[in-house]
Amino acid sequence: MSPLPIPAPDPLPLPLPPGVLKALLLATFTLHLMAVNLGVGGSLLAAAHALRGKEEDRDLVRRLAPLLPASVTFAITLGVAPLLFVQLIYGPFFYTASVLTAVPWLALIFLLMAGYVLLYRFVDSVETQALRAFSGIFGTLLMLGAGLALTNVTTLSLRPDLWAAHAAASPHGLRLNTVDPTLWPRFLHMAAAMIAVAGLFLAGWGAWRHHAYARRVGLRWFLAATASQALWGTWLLVAQPKPLLDLLLNANTAPGLTLWIAIACGALALFMAIPASQKGAPAKDAWAPVILALASVLGMILLRDQMRDAALAGAGFQAAALPHRTDWPSLGIFGLTFLGVAALLVTIFRWAAQPPGSPDTGKELS
Amino acid sequence: MNHPVWDLPWMGSGWIIGLVSIIHVSIAHLVVGAGFWLAFMETRAQRARDGELQGWLRGRAKSLLWLSSIFGAATGVGIWVAIGLVSPTATQHLIRAFVMGWATEWLLFAGEMATLIVLVRAYGRLSPGQRLALVWLYALCAWLSLVVINGIVTFMLSPGKGWTASHAMVDGFFNATYLPSLWLRSCVALALGGLWAMAGRIPPGLKVRVLKPTALSVVAGILLAGLSGWFYFQSFPAAGKELVLGNLRGATGLAEGFRWALLGLGAFLLPALLALWAFLRGDAFRRSAAVFGLLLACWGFGGFEWIREVARKPYVIREVMYSNGIRVEQVSGYQKDGFLPANVWARTFAASKGDTDLARGEAILRSQCLACHTREGYRSLKALTAPYSESDLVALVQSLRELDPGMNPYLDRMPPFAGTEQEAEQVGKYLHTLKAK
Ligand code: HEC
Repeated sequence: MSPLPIPAPDPLPLPLPPGVLKALLLATFTLHLMAVNLGVGGSLLAAAHALRGKEEDRDLVRRLAPLLPASVTFAITLGVAPLLFVQLIYGPFFYTASVLTAVPWLALIFLLMAGYVLLYRFVDSVETQALRAFSGIFGTLLMLGAGLALTNVTTLSLRPDLWAAHAAASPHGLRLNTVDPTLWPRFLHMAAAMIAVAGLFLAGWGAWRHHAYARRVGLRWFLAATASQALWGTWLLVAQPKPLLDLLLNANTAPGLTLWIAIACGALALFMAIPASQKGAPAKDAWAPVILALASVLGMILLRDQMRDAALAGAGFQAAALPHRTDWPSLGIFGLTFLGVAALLVTIFRWAAQPPGSPDTGKELS
Repeated sequence: MNHPVWDLPWMGSGWIIGLVSIIHVSIAHLVVGAGFWLAFMETRAQRARDGELQGWLRGRAKSLLWLSSIFGAATGVGIWVAIGLVSPTATQHLIRAFVMGWATEWLLFAGEMATLIVLVRAYGRLSPGQRLALVWLYALCAWLSLVVINGIVTFMLSPGKGWTASHAMVDGFFNATYLPSLWLRSCVALALGGLWAMAGRIPPGLKVRVLKPTALSVVAGILLAGLSGWFYFQSFPAAGKELVLGNLRGATGLAEGFRWALLGLGAFLLPALLALWAFLRGDAFRRSAAVFGLLLACWGFGGFEWIREVARKPYVIREVMYSNGIRVEQVSGYQKDGFLPANVWARTFAASKGDTDLARGEAILRSQCLACHTREGYRSLKALTAPYSESDLVALVQSLRELDPGMNPYLDRMPPFAGTEQEAEQVGKYLHTLKAK
């Protein structure tokens, strides 16, 4: 077999040690994913309840809907940062994969914009009689399509062994990475997780605000979506290439351990969510499944990264070995800006959370 | 280039960047200007205790959020997608050099979105003082993100000797065109933001109160932009200036797009007249005129960006990296030892087509020429080479290997051919086959 077609990395050193960049990648990716779960998963939930249309559902939708556009905005904004760090660390793999599947990758932005416009239509209609549930559904589907574009590039970037054949079969970059058996299960696994986490947010909110219906249906969404992971998760597992599957099945390896701990947390959350989702269960029962399930999600994010490094190590790439030269002045500028923006965010979110009609608010204008 | 090539027939992949970035860049500047406009108007409205105006401004903030959160943010991602597809090698180089700059800009963008979201969503909970602080903070964050991005964009035109030696971000950031460009962009932002405001639905009772100051800021923005554009041009590196002037004289083949860009610069002045109308006869002014003016101004701004890109040709980063992703220092090595041995994706492509001479020629052409040409569409190689015989074409590509501008008249618009004599012959032969297609 000829050597894998992996482009040479850029000659400039990294501006920070690879470990630090990796931490930034994972931190921003986690934030991004949470916003996506809330925005896209939440839109699906809201649209489904809007379709159901009982009075309690409409009430739920009215409360959920205003959060959705902002969540999607944050999802996009927060997504740019990990996109940057991925390019920085894994550039040769990321760029190659995106060029090879250029058209679906480019479709990402159009799917996002169209999905977003429909979402706004849905949200704006919530207060009116003519609830546009179908806008919500289609908007969510388009955003899920954007998710598929991302899964598509990610899976392809991990399989340099598929590249040459993909390039020959698709010189203009039209094809999805369907040759890779992990594409569909990985996408479905992510999509189901979005619904599950959105359900968790809803349940957590319901427990916090003593909204029994939100808490109950939130947990039910979580239950249904997570139970379905038995299918998607297993499919994704067995679709892994042999060396990676061996790693995962062996609890003595770091990825294997992460996987089984994450699954254990998820399964425990699942069992605790069953009684907590019954009518009349006390509100505080919702917390344990919510926290366990979030722990499971964090574990899966970590696992995802471990598997990426394991896959690329097979192609001879070591992120930790990339040369770097710390660029202190630019780091200083970044640090100062970070402090400034953090202070800004804390201040304005406190303003946003202050009770309406505090002494000097401008109620008369609104 | 080192990476695979996205071969977009007829149109050429470069246009994707143009298309996405003209939308994104227009919106990005517009929201900066609109931020200052909103802050200024809110200040005025609060001073005058003008509740009607404040109520209307609240709606404008909402539509600004709509614009920047949907189209601004998504096309921002779009730029990353597009440049990564079209120029992966250059994108990677820029990211390596400037990631902390982008990270800083990203923080500011997050601040920008958060201030606007809080303003719109929590409006009723905010005191007038808090609202005022929020709009000004929004404007400041938006402008500061321009301050950062401007460093990277101007770097590509004038990276400067300091950076080439140190590769330290700050050395590239504060380069020769930095300040004039920042001035220019700020003025353009003012004009675009004002035009956007004038294009809004203004209740008849408010028209004059809104239009007078707004129109004034548009006129000022446009006139100052014209002035700072001239200073900006003076700060161009000599070769870049030469290239633009050469185009002005119609000397090189960039002319077709250049004409559109020049018309655009003219179009940029028209909205000033429209704004003058709005200033003098606010009650009779029509929204549609402002929409039209806004479109003209975006065209003009796009033209300006286009000219800036011309001034950079045939580089993506002047004197550092050519448009096809080959770094200047790599050329002599490729000419001596060959392009194919060093570029795995060109080799992969050639292998997929049987590794014949023609396959190798096509592979090299994809990697080195499709950044600016297409086979039969935009800047068509088929059309450009129509007059030449096969041996002419071989000789032509071989002459592109020449690094002395006296011997290779194309060096001001095309990178030198980075390959051996024999590889040049393969490309020449492949070019000849285009005739039959
Ligand atoms: C940086 C952009 C750029 C790159 C890369 C580039 N060209 Fe060009 N090329 C141009 C421009 C601009 C012209 C002038 C077009 C015109 O006259 O309409 C041109 C013109 C030509 C012509 C016509 C010359 C003539 O005298 O009529 C040929 C042939 C040509 N290019 C071949 C190539 C080949 C082969 C490659 C790859 C090795 C290449 N170009 C790479 C920008 C580029």
